[in-house]
Order: sequence, then C-alpha cells, then structure tokens
Amino acid sequence: MNHAATVFAPNSVLNRNAIRILIATQVTLAFLLWAFSPFVLLPKPGEVLAALGDMWSQGLGAELITSFLLNLQAIALATVFSLLLAYATVMPFFRPIVALLSKLRFLSLVGLTFFFTLMAKTGHQLKLSLLVFSVSVFFVTGMADVIESIPKEKFDLARTLRMGEWRVVWEVIVLGQVDKAFDVLRQNAAIGWMMLTMVEGIVRSEGGVGTILLDQNHHFRLAAVFAIQLTILMLGLLQDYGIGMMKGLLCPYAALTLERK
Amino acid sequence: MGNTSYSLGKTLLKIEHVGLEYDGRPVLRDVNAEVRDITVPGRVQGQVVGFLGPSGCGKTSLFRIIAGLNAPTSGRVSVNDLDRPVRAGEVGVVSQSYPLFEHRTVLGNLMLAAKRKEKDSSAAREKVMGLLREFDLEDKFPLYPAQLSGGQRQRCAIIQQILCSEHFLLMDEPFSGLDLLMLEKTCELITKVSDMDDLNTIIVVTHDVTAACSVADHLWLMGRDSDASGHKQPGSRIVKEYNLIERDLCWQPGIITTARFTDFVREVKEEFRRL
Repeated sequence: MNHAATVFAPNSVLNRNAIRILIATQVTLAFLLWAFSPFVLLPKPGEVLAALGDMWSQGLGAELITSFLLNLQAIALATVFSLLLAYATVMPFFRPIVALLSKLRFLSLVGLTFFFTLMAKTGHQLKLSLLVFSVSVFFVTGMADVIESIPKEKFDLARTLRMGEWRVVWEVIVLGQVDKAFDVLRQNAAIGWMMLTMVEGIVRSEGGVGTILLDQNHHFRLAAVFAIQLTILMLGLLQDYGIGMMKGLLCPYAALTLERK
Repeated sequence: MGNTSYSLGKTLLKIEHVGLEYDGRPVLRDVNAEVRDITVPGRVQGQVVGFLGPSGCGKTSLFRIIAGLNAPTSGRVSVNDLDRPVRAGEVGVVSQSYPLFEHRTVLGNLMLAAKRKEKDSSAAREKVMGLLREFDLEDKFPLYPAQLSGGQRQRCAIIQQILCSEHFLLMDEPFSGLDLLMLEKTCELITKVSDMDDLNTIIVVTHDVTAACSVADHLWLMGRDSDASGHKQPGSRIVKEYNLIERDLCWQPGIITTARFTDFVREVKEEFRRL
C-alpha cells in the first residue's frame, strides 16, 4: 500500500517521521487556507500578529499570567477535591453524593454566580470557586467512571495477595489508576481554560485574558480576538504537553499496550 | 494398587457439602472432595488435583469458593485442617488471564507478594530473585507485565502466588488456548511447582481432559444429573472421582505415550460426554 493510501486506511499505524510530515502538511494547508481565505471578516495572519503585538505592549502578558495562575490554582484544587471524592466512592455512603455532584455538570455557571457570590469574600475567591466547581463536576464524573470500570480480577488479585480492603483500594484504585487519573486531568485542565474565559467574563475583578477577550469581542475587534484565542491555545497546548510528559515519566507502563504509541 | 509406594498424611484441603445458589437457582450441589498430603519415600512429592467438567457446570464458581473469594450458600472449604472456612490469600490463585499489577514491574509485583509474608526487604528480594532464576525469568525483573510474553506472564503470576499462599495454587483453565508446545511447558511447570515442596498442592480447574490426566494424581469430574426423561437437573456435583496413583498413571515420565494412559483418557472422556 502506498503512503497516500496508508493515511486513509483504517487502523493504520504511521512511523514518527510520517506523522511529523502529516502534521506539517496539515498545519501548512490550514495556514494557507487562513491566509488566502476570501472570507473578508476573517482577520489575516498579519493583522492578528499586529494585534497581538499591540496587546502585548498594553499588558496582555500580565493578564495572561493572572489567568494562568488562577487556572492552575483551580485545577490543583479541583484535582485534589475530585480525586478524593472519586476515591471515596469505594464507600457506599459517598456514591449517591458523587452521583449527584456528577449530575450538576448540566447546570449553567451564570445561574450559580449569585449563590457563589454569597459565599465568596473577594472577586478572586468567587472566580476560583466557580472554576473549581465547574471543573470538579466533570473531573469527578470522569474519575468515578474510571474507578467503576476496574475489572473484578484486579480486586481478586489484590485479595489473593492477602491485602486488606484499604490496601486493595490503595493498590488497585489509587496506584493502579494513576495513568487514567492523568488522562482525566488532561481533559479537565482543558475544560478549565474553556471555563476560565467565561468566569473572567462574569467576574471582572483582577482582569485576566477572559475579560480582555470579552471586551475585544464586544467591540468586534476580530484580529485581537483571534490573537487572544491563539495565545490561549498555545498556553493550553503547553499545559497539555506538560501533563502528558508527567504521565509518560510517572507511568511509563501506560503506553506499552497501545497500538498507536 | 499402583507400583509406587506412597502414604497419605494430613488433610490439606477439604470441600464439605458445598452448595451454591444464585437467585434461588442451584449452581453447585453437595460438592465434596478431600486432598491429603502424599508422601513418597525418598523424594519430594507435592499434590496435583484436577476438577474437570464441561463449560458452564460451575467450575469457576467452585474455583472462587476454594480461593476464598466467594462464600458458598451451604457447606464449606477449609485448608490445613483449620476449623474455619478458607480465607482469600490462603490459596494462591492463577486465573486464565494471568492478572498482574500493570503499574508495577515484575520485581515490584513479586516483592509486593513476598513482603506479605517476609517483612525483611532484603530477604524478600532474595527469595524473589531465587524464584525468578528457578523459572528462567531472572533478566525480566525490570520489565512491566505488558512487556512479557504469554508464557513469561504465566510463570510470573505463578511465582507471585507461590510467594504469598500457604503451599496452595489454584489454576483456572491453565491449558486453555495453548499450542502443543506451550501445553507441554505448562504441564511441566505444574509438576515442577508441585514438586518444590511436599506440601505444595496444585488444584487445576479445567475442561481439558487429556492435559488434566497428564498432570494430576486425583481427578474429580463435575457435572449435572439427568432425570428419567434425560433432562439435565440444575446444579452440578461431583459425579466421579479418579485416583490416578491407584491406577499407576502418574509420576512416571512418558506415561502419556502408553496405551494404559490413552485408555484412561478415553474412559474419562466417555464419562465427560455423558454429562
């Protein structure tokens, strides 16, 4: 089968070089499509770059750091909170609580702002609590699913090795699912960035990229909107890569059985 | 009576009137079996016993009860003459898929098992490395289970359970899906493990009649009774017991090539077909 056919053949596995070439080709094509698009409302790369330069000189970097630190803090808190809750599902008492929390992911943040405003003392606290809540409801759902799908034989193995039930929890659920926890974290850290701009739009104290993004959007400055979106995308990708690298370092076994590693 | 002189010692495993029901539907009925310590003068002789039966006859349910992972509805299984039901961990379990902890290396998996009995880390490691050498896995200790072949994984799972259990190893369908070479190696492995200690007892649960006959000294055939009109009654029980020592069909190299052995396998298979 030739290379062109291979990239469209189901379940084909490409070598690293072929993957690099494929990605480079697709990125170049996307860039060319963007640069030469006949759609007049779409800002051109040069305009986006210029808008980025302008905003950078007006303090976009500082806003980015504010948002990044807020997001990092929220993800860290949501991770600890969600993991503890998901692990707590080993006890029947906590299962309905976690199931209920999981259902709350259908609620709108806007509708919850009033409730969280009553509890928070500062704007930062309000943003943080909104973010932790919105990330946690997804995180706990993903992690509880991971725990529920552990096969019986893993528990049996631990029990036949004379482990008590708490040791079984530690070995099978906590240590045994670290790689999956990283995957869930990776997904939810991305959700964190998505929620961040919304939260910073709802609560404008401390600024942040979300506030700037909404302002630029409000004034229909599309080049600036694109510039901010691209900046967030780059930062998000960097964060994603970082989490992926940590998973690779701490869980080298995770990729051993994958076809497309 | 067989040619080999042997004597029977204390009871190692006792299955007494075990019954099991799921939602009122009987799965096992009054299952009884006893494994006693076999002593052969002048050599280390462990025990290998087999529970044979067609698919769906409740072998896996019995397997889980013997392993102490499930409790029977009635009766009990006990080991080493203890006056209480068997507990999980007393009988080592090697199930069909040879489960290991994927997040631990071979050494990590085995140390985890060894340290359940041996608190001193260096002594535990020494024991682990000794068994790895014994089972030709010495150079595999830094690998993860996903990096092992099927045979290596099987041996690793066996070592893990040997390290932790009290001389008992319960194997679920160890011959299933193996090619001829692997089948022979598995039979050799079972014999090797049983002969590592006088008290070592391997309990094989399988539907492979020939392989079971080639390794076991005792066999129990499980199945369901039929009523007068030929309909199968719910719930399996032991329908036949075979003592291969009495028939002089075990502990002899090359026995499987003899006509006596072939006749015996045929006899068991005929009984098997009637179940």
